Amino acid sequence: MLRARQQDAKFEPRDNPAPPLVPVDKAHSEEITPAPSSQSVAQRDLRLDFFRGLALFCMFIDHMPDNILARFTIQSVMFADAAEVFIFISGYTAGMVYGRAMERQGFLLSGVRIYHRVWQLYVAHVFLFMMFMATVGFTAGALNNPIYAEEFGAANFLNEPGLAVVKALMLQFQPAFMDILPLYIVLLAALPFVLRGFISRPWVVIIASIALWLAVQFDKRIAVSAYPGPDHVWFFNPFAWQCLFFLGGWLGWRGNRGGVSWLKRRWVFYLAAVVALAGFIIRFSWTLHDLYDPLPVPVSMEFLWPLLSKGDLGILRFANVLAVALLVSRLIHPQAQFLTTRGARPFLICGRNSLHIFCLAILLSVLAHLVLNEFFGGILMQIAVSAVGIAIMISVAALMEWFAAAQQASGRPALRAPVMGGGTRR
Amino acid sequence: MTLRLMSRSFMLIAVGKIGLLCTPAPIFAQERECSVPERFYISEPQLTKTPKAIVRGQEVVIVVLGGASTLGSAASKPDLAWPARFAAALAENFPSARVKVVNLAVARQTAKGAAERLEREVIPLKPNLVVWETGTMEAVRGTDIDEFRETLRAGIEDLRTAGIETVLMNMQFSRDSEAVIHFEPYLAAMSQLADVSDVPLFRRHGMMRHWAESGFLDLRVTDTDLRRRVAAKLYGCIGRAMADFVMRGMPALNAPAVKEGSAR
Repeated sequence: MLRARQQDAKFEPRDNPAPPLVPVDKAHSEEITPAPSSQSVAQRDLRLDFFRGLALFCMFIDHMPDNILARFTIQSVMFADAAEVFIFISGYTAGMVYGRAMERQGFLLSGVRIYHRVWQLYVAHVFLFMMFMATVGFTAGALNNPIYAEEFGAANFLNEPGLAVVKALMLQFQPAFMDILPLYIVLLAALPFVLRGFISRPWVVIIASIALWLAVQFDKRIAVSAYPGPDHVWFFNPFAWQCLFFLGGWLGWRGNRGGVSWLKRRWVFYLAAVVALAGFIIRFSWTLHDLYDPLPVPVSMEFLWPLLSKGDLGILRFANVLAVALLVSRLIHPQAQFLTTRGARPFLICGRNSLHIFCLAILLSVLAHLVLNEFFGGILMQIAVSAVGIAIMISVAALMEWFAAAQQASGRPALRAPVMGGGTRR
Repeated sequence: MTLRLMSRSFMLIAVGKIGLLCTPAPIFAQERECSVPERFYISEPQLTKTPKAIVRGQEVVIVVLGGASTLGSAASKPDLAWPARFAAALAENFPSARVKVVNLAVARQTAKGAAERLEREVIPLKPNLVVWETGTMEAVRGTDIDEFRETLRAGIEDLRTAGIETVLMNMQFSRDSEAVIHFEPYLAAMSQLADVSDVPLFRRHGMMRHWAESGFLDLRVTDTDLRRRVAAKLYGCIGRAMADFVMRGMPALNAPAVKEGSAR
């Protein structure tokens, strides 16, 4: 958490000064598990950045229409997809960074910090909504075409744009791609209280969180209403997804104090390995079947559908992402050699600047739709558009890294700190 | 053109059909412009009962469920809607056929709304086949995907119990609304459902995209009269493609090129 700590030091003078930047390649051999009282700073856990970067790339690829590459992203080898990875890592990082802040600075100050971040997410959401409305305006002509007019005219927001704006500001209107930020916003808004709970009664909070997730699995009526329509609900049910986020948050918070001992037991590892392997075999067989119909599948999708709900975070998706996270945490060192290579750098820098790159990815998905429907071009075009989009994401992340480094080097307060509130704190 | 051919080749390699690198076979020898590449239906199961009944000249009832695009008002006359064109194509290709196509489409009907009509309005007609066009309202309104899939699954099951075959048809393709309305998850849900329920899926979305891409169908014309003509052309193509889709496996109709190299 080197970077985050350094930003903290600039942003909040009360924080202890950060130590000099340790070159990552020299540091990777050290095992660091800081005690809460110790002021020693953990090295940045590169796995968090790397896999969050990977999730962002997958999210962009998965969002493009009929993209051949989407058959080869995270979702083709496990029941979960980029959304689970993203929310879990975000929860973990938030628990780690803000958990530490809460113990040092107290509830109020760290709470304000979290809400500062919530505000940034909200602004990003509004920005994306503006982009969405611009796209609607740009493509509205198509709706006059009688081939579509009747069908697409049923989209209420076209008839009542004023209400749509209000509902978007209230997070209730979640058109294409605009469903995950509202989830993130409410989860982060609840975080100060949950962290407070972790400090006094962790098990009560964890059990309540799991119980709420379980309740959603059995009663689909537990949901948040959305616009438009009476029976429209949030795509990502926050009552279900909170469990993944806060479980991640709890692990991140515990990570500050040496981790959770029973998770290091051998049987847990084997259990996770079995779950991940079963998930891989079943899900990958579906991927292959999808590519080539005559290939058989060991377990039909039909039987597992009730356990695979994305909106309600079905148990298979939940278990699969936790199992893979555990395997990754056990098998890959936080500063593993491959994470320090050139090849890993694009993932790291995108993961490190995740809020900006996330918004960029959403924007690029929308543009990719427009480009692919304007110029068509089949699979080669899909690959080209994917490559260009990812190159743009990497370039912007690199620019942000360079800017932050330049600011730090010149000794002035990093502009990035107040703007970002710490790219790591998602 | 080279680009398109190459990309098609890649697709074919991707689906393991390396033997089919030649240009995709047109469905209609006489209607090349409406051709549908094999990839749109190669892995779809064939209907067993309905095509045979049609060839034998038995009385066949086909019910069509759907929304505005099946109602076809964009082409201005009901007999220009695709179900009517579908009936005409069947009659043309099988002069001995006695087929009645009943269009029960209602504008802006949801899958749920259509499913609720099965018992009262569809099954009493004793159809051999139901063509169920759906998914648009769900994508436009953002209906819960699991619920949508379950509605379709239960509906198909009811029809099967009543001895009725089903063909699913997915949404229309539009060049402009794709970035605004999130179709992909619903397209994927229909494709998965068709796969596990073992019913053929008529991939209208992909076909329209293909026709737009090949320049055959200009979905962006603005002139009112031209728009009507484009709609009529589109519905004609869909009707004929549907006739071929339903009658696959019946040698009387299919151009020999279609079957060549087919894995089925």
